[in-house]
Parts: sequence; structure tokens; C-alpha cells
Amino acid sequence: MAAAARTFDAIVVGSGISGGWAAKELCERGLSTLVLEAGRPIRPEIDYVEHVPPWQVHFRGLGDRRALERDQPIQKHCYACDEWSGKFFVNDTDNPYTTAPGKPFDWIRGRQVGGRSIMWGRQVYRWSDLDFEANAKDGFGVDWPIRYADIAPWYDYVEDFIGISGETLGLPQLPDGKFLPPMQLNCAERWVRERLAGRYGGERVVTIGRCAILTKAHRGRAACHYCGTCERGCITYSYFNSVHVTLPAARATGRLTLRPYSVVHSVIFDERKGRATGVRVIDAQTKQPLEFQGRVIFLCASALESTRILLNSKSASFPTGLANSSGELGRNLMDHTMGGGANGTIPGFEDRIERGDRPNGIYVPRYRNVRDQHPDFLRGYAFQGGAGRSGWGRGSSQAGFGPGFKHALRTPGPWRFTFYGFGECLPRPTNYVEPDPETVDAWGIPALKIHCEWSDNERKALQDMSVTAAEMLEAVGATDVSPFVNDNPPGLTIHEMGTARMGRDPKTSVLNAHNQAHDVKNLFCTDGACMTSSANQNPSITYMALTARAAAYAVEAMKRREL
Amino acid sequence: MNRRDVLRVLGGAATVPLFAGLSPGELRARGITTHARARGRALQVLDPHQSETVATIAELILPETDTPGARAAKVHEFVDVLLAEWYDDKDRGRFLAGLADVDTRCRGAFGVDFLGASEAQRTAILAGLDAEVAALRAAHAKPDDHFFSRMKWLTLYGYYTSEVGMMEELRWQVIPGTYDGCVERQQPAPGGF
Repeated sequence: MAAAARTFDAIVVGSGISGGWAAKELCERGLSTLVLEAGRPIRPEIDYVEHVPPWQVHFRGLGDRRALERDQPIQKHCYACDEWSGKFFVNDTDNPYTTAPGKPFDWIRGRQVGGRSIMWGRQVYRWSDLDFEANAKDGFGVDWPIRYADIAPWYDYVEDFIGISGETLGLPQLPDGKFLPPMQLNCAERWVRERLAGRYGGERVVTIGRCAILTKAHRGRAACHYCGTCERGCITYSYFNSVHVTLPAARATGRLTLRPYSVVHSVIFDERKGRATGVRVIDAQTKQPLEFQGRVIFLCASALESTRILLNSKSASFPTGLANSSGELGRNLMDHTMGGGANGTIPGFEDRIERGDRPNGIYVPRYRNVRDQHPDFLRGYAFQGGAGRSGWGRGSSQAGFGPGFKHALRTPGPWRFTFYGFGECLPRPTNYVEPDPETVDAWGIPALKIHCEWSDNERKALQDMSVTAAEMLEAVGATDVSPFVNDNPPGLTIHEMGTARMGRDPKTSVLNAHNQAHDVKNLFCTDGACMTSSANQNPSITYMALTARAAAYAVEAMKRREL
Repeated sequence: MNRRDVLRVLGGAATVPLFAGLSPGELRARGITTHARARGRALQVLDPHQSETVATIAELILPETDTPGARAAKVHEFVDVLLAEWYDDKDRGRFLAGLADVDTRCRGAFGVDFLGASEAQRTAILAGLDAEVAALRAAHAKPDDHFFSRMKWLTLYGYYTSEVGMMEELRWQVIPGTYDGCVERQQPAPGGF
């Protein structure tokens, strides 16, 4: 490659949810942009497998048990790492990390163009000032340097481009967006929604999930056809991922250079200029080191990968990692808790079924600690879930065989409704990552050691989820109500965030209000690493909005010659 | 894009990448591996007697009625794949021992192997096994290790994920096109779900 081709206006590390947005915005605003992706390229017409039926995969969807145990013992904990989509998850042997004894952390990763945007959960919820003010109010973490008013126009901008379906509710704790028509609730969900409204008024509301799936054609992409398995790809481009939405927009400008198989080792820091001047890369296939130069650098490699790159970027000025004068780099790791809830049987509707496979469920916006304060825990949680009828699968645990048994399985079981909670995690400096000097990945790059565990606050909220979920099901008249609390390790919710937080004070935070490193003005980080608190909403839309906002700021600052 | 366009796109996506652009030599090599795999699939673990016994039990669990049964869905081949490539030695051994035990029970009761028994005799053997699983369940014991519990699971899973099971019994639609959350169900019939 010629020297000229190694110098760009901007370098973006990562091509997923955040990297795709950085690429689009920086290219559209006139910068020649290099996107470095650690993994392989994705060709939708070959790699998307959502319509491959079970009988065409070798283990009928059970997965290659031996290969999973050997190569993906951690990744296989994610529901989407199945016989179709397992190829979108990393090989755990090539991508090691370590944890502290007794503190498991499931780090679920996707290394390919599109990153985890290919198999993400697609749920999209705005944050509100209840979230942005939380740290300042109760003293955990530092204050966010932004408020809802700062990000609201960027939520509008991002949502309009990617297309979000959902229902407006007018709730202050969960701001509405400009939505495409909502997907339908099913019979049992409508029944729960109506009865819940009768019992709790507007305080506890069942709505359809707000999701990045099109319910009508939008900006050249087709409406959802309800095959139901978005995490395997979508040949009609009906859900958002960066492969078929943001990266094509970046490519259309003619300013995008996308380089797959490029594992970023570290950021190059020029001591004399006090600037980041480029990145060191290991070619994933040849394992040869390379360098690329850029005037501005966006880290969008995922929360822990971006932090890992910074921790591995050591220099005389920054011996513990680039932009770490605060000592906060690596600290305040968060994930959402998940798995407190309840299920129950909804009477009736026996002559009714769903037609089509809706890749979305219900949502119950946060109601705890919105107006009053619960005595046992801070912050809040929300429920996802939904209702459905059991099918042939129940036959394995029933007596009988023969024609009557086979035909009885044609009648679906009763409607069962589940509330499944997702809870906020407090930012704590004792949950942190550091380089593990003993462990390197397949490219010789030092791996992370992760120290993370839930605190009592998270556990108490998880318990409360099961209590209030059961309470709601009893209140609406469900039968056979079973509360549950699943014990999931941090990481498995795949909302890991923090470790390079935004803040007002360079002494206590890594990034400023524009996702710009306090210490290095031409270095930005806009993925989950930047998060100052976790809220309880699925975070991806906030990463997208922060990325678009930061990119606009960076380009304006370059024009003013501040960078 | 309407539904027909979608199907056209999908058809293209499904067929093009598989063999496109391969030289005759490469095609032949591909063909040999495919056939080797297909041959391997037929009998990796189960011998002909065992395979026929599995197919016969599976067909008794999910028989041909107004739709094809487990034998037409080749459930025994699916069982063989799992035994060979998915189960560990312990689970494989347990399954094969349970399968042999079906013959032992049949000889004890009727003086013939399962395959040599009449339909009524076979049904009686399975009813006895099924009752044992039900008793374990009633006693809140895990029935997972009982041969018939595992055999029933394998039969159901193998059948309802087969082309026959999904297309003819479940009448699965790969691309429904729309979602309706509350429609009237057809009376119990294939695909009435």
C-alpha cells in the first residue's frame, strides 16, 4: 500500500453500531475516512441466513456442541450464538480475557464488518433527564456533562435515518420519538395492557417494544416480513445494522475506505505535538504490523475493546494508557442486570393465535423511583417480555404417543405471559478492567482482565422485579403465576458500558461532553465506553446519537482549526 | 418491494453462492465430499437393526396420519447424527443400552425382538416405557436419563424440524409477510396452530 493511502482525515476504529455512524457522519461532512474493522467482511447475499430452514443445518439448530465447547465456550451463552449465527461471534481461544476468581463476566463479541449490529436485540429507548441527572442526585459516579436537551435533536436525527417502530406514550421518563407505526400486541398482551391500565392508571404501562425494525418502507428499505430471526441477518434490510444502513451511506460519499481484518493494537501519540497521529494495526490474516495516520481518531470498537486499545497505548506522557491522566480509564464498568420477573397463564383466547413471527415483544417503562424513592434500592428497571402459546415442544414432557398424541399437539397450549426485567447498574470504581500482562490474543495484543460483580443495589432491584411482576400478573387475573430471579453474570446482557466515562472534570473523567478525550483533543470515543451511568434502557440508540453528535462537533472544530 | 420480489431475491440468494464459479474439477471434489457426508449420515453409529428399531419406535410415537410420520421425516437419521457427532460417550452408551433393552423387554414379554413383534405388542412395550417416564415425573424425579424420555424428545425434535414436519404438519411459512397478533385459529388440523 502506498504511503499516501495510509493517511486519512479521520480514522474510525470499529464498524458496528457506533463505528458505522461515525463513518457516515464524518464522510458526509467531507472527511476522507478510514474504517478499521478487526474481523471479516460481510456480504449480505451470502452471509445472511435468516431463511435457511432447520433441516438445512446439520444439527437442526442444536448447534455443533463439541465445536461450541471447544471454540466458543463463552459466546455460546448468548441465545443468538446458534447454529445459524454462531459465525457472527468470536472464537474465544483467539480472543481471550481473564476474570478475577469468583467474579465471572461473559464478554460477548462480534468481529466482522457490522460488529454486533448484525445480531443485536434491536430494542431502542431514549434516555431522559431522570437518567442524565441520576449520578448527580444520588452521588454514585460523576455527573453527566450533558442533559436530555443536548442529545434530543440527535436522537431525532438518528431515529429518522434508521427507522424506529413504536408507540408514543407521553411519559417523562421514556421520551417519545418520531415513530413508524407500532407492531401489534397479541390477544393476551392487549388483555394484560387493558387490565393493567384499569388497575394502575398510567403508572405501569404495557406497550409494544420500540425497535429498529421497519413496519413500513423507509428510505429505500423494505418493511419487515415477520420471518422472526433478525439476528441471522435480513436480506430485505428491514432492521437496522451498519452493514446495510450506515456504511452504505458513508460509501456513497466516495470518501470511505473500509479495511477489514485490521486489528487495532494502539493509538499512536506524538509527545511533541500532544496529539494522536494514527493507529498501530496488526493485519488479522498476515499478522504483520501496519500504521495508519489520521487527523482525528474515533474509537468505536465497543466499550471494552476501545478501553483496551487506550490501556495498551502507553507513552511517556501516559504510562498507564492514553488519555488516562484521571486514572479513571478502565473503571466504572457496568452492564444491565437481567432476569427478574414472573410468568403466568392468561385465561381465554383459546380460539385465537398469532400469525407471523413478530421479532419484538412488550415493554413496561420504568415505574420504580420515578416520583418516589424505594427504601431498598436506587435507580430503576423496565420489563420486556410478551405472551405466546406453547407448541409441539411441550409434547416431550407429556405422556402418550401415537395418532391421538400427534394430533393433540396441533392444539396450542394456553397463553402464557412473561415479564422479564432489565435493571440499572450503579457505576462503581471497583468494577474495572486492566491489561493482563500474562495473556495475549491471537495477534499478540495484551488481553484484558475484568473485575466485575453485582452490588446489593442490583440484587435488590432484581428481587423487586420478581415481586412487582408477580403482583401485576395477579392483579390482572392471570393464573399459575410464577415469580423468578435468574442469576446471570455481568456481561451476558451484552450492554457492557463505562470504563472511559464522560464528565465535566478532567480529573475524574476521561471524555468531555462531546466524547472528546480531555487529554488528547483529536481523540474521540463514542461507543459504550463513554457512558457515565447505565440507566435501564437498552443503550445502542444513545451510542448512535452520541456518535453523530460527536462527529458533527469534531468536524466543526477541525474547520475552526481547533483540532 | 412486494412479497414476490422478496421471494425472488431470496431464491437468488439461496442458489447462487453454493456452486457458482466452480471449475468442473472443483465441482467434482465438492460432489464427492457431499456424497461422503450423505453416506456417513446414513449409518455412523446405528447398525441396520438399531436404525430400523429407532425408525419403528419413532413412527409409533408420531405415526403417519393425514400427514406423514416420523419415518418419512427420517428421524432415525437425525438420531444417528446426534449419537455420532453431538452426544458424549456416556449419553451415547446410555441411549444404545436403552435401545437394546427394548428388545430384551420384548423377548421377555413376547419371545421376539421388537421388530419381530406385532403392532399391538410393540405398542404394549412402549406404553410400559411411557408409564415409567410418567411415574418418574410424578415423583418429581428427572426423567431425562430414561431411554424413552430421550427417544420421545429426539423423535419430536427430529420430526418437527424436518422438512416433512415443518412443511406438511406445521405448514410453516418461511416468510409470513405480515403479523397479526390475534387471528382465529383453524380447527385442529395440520398447521392449525
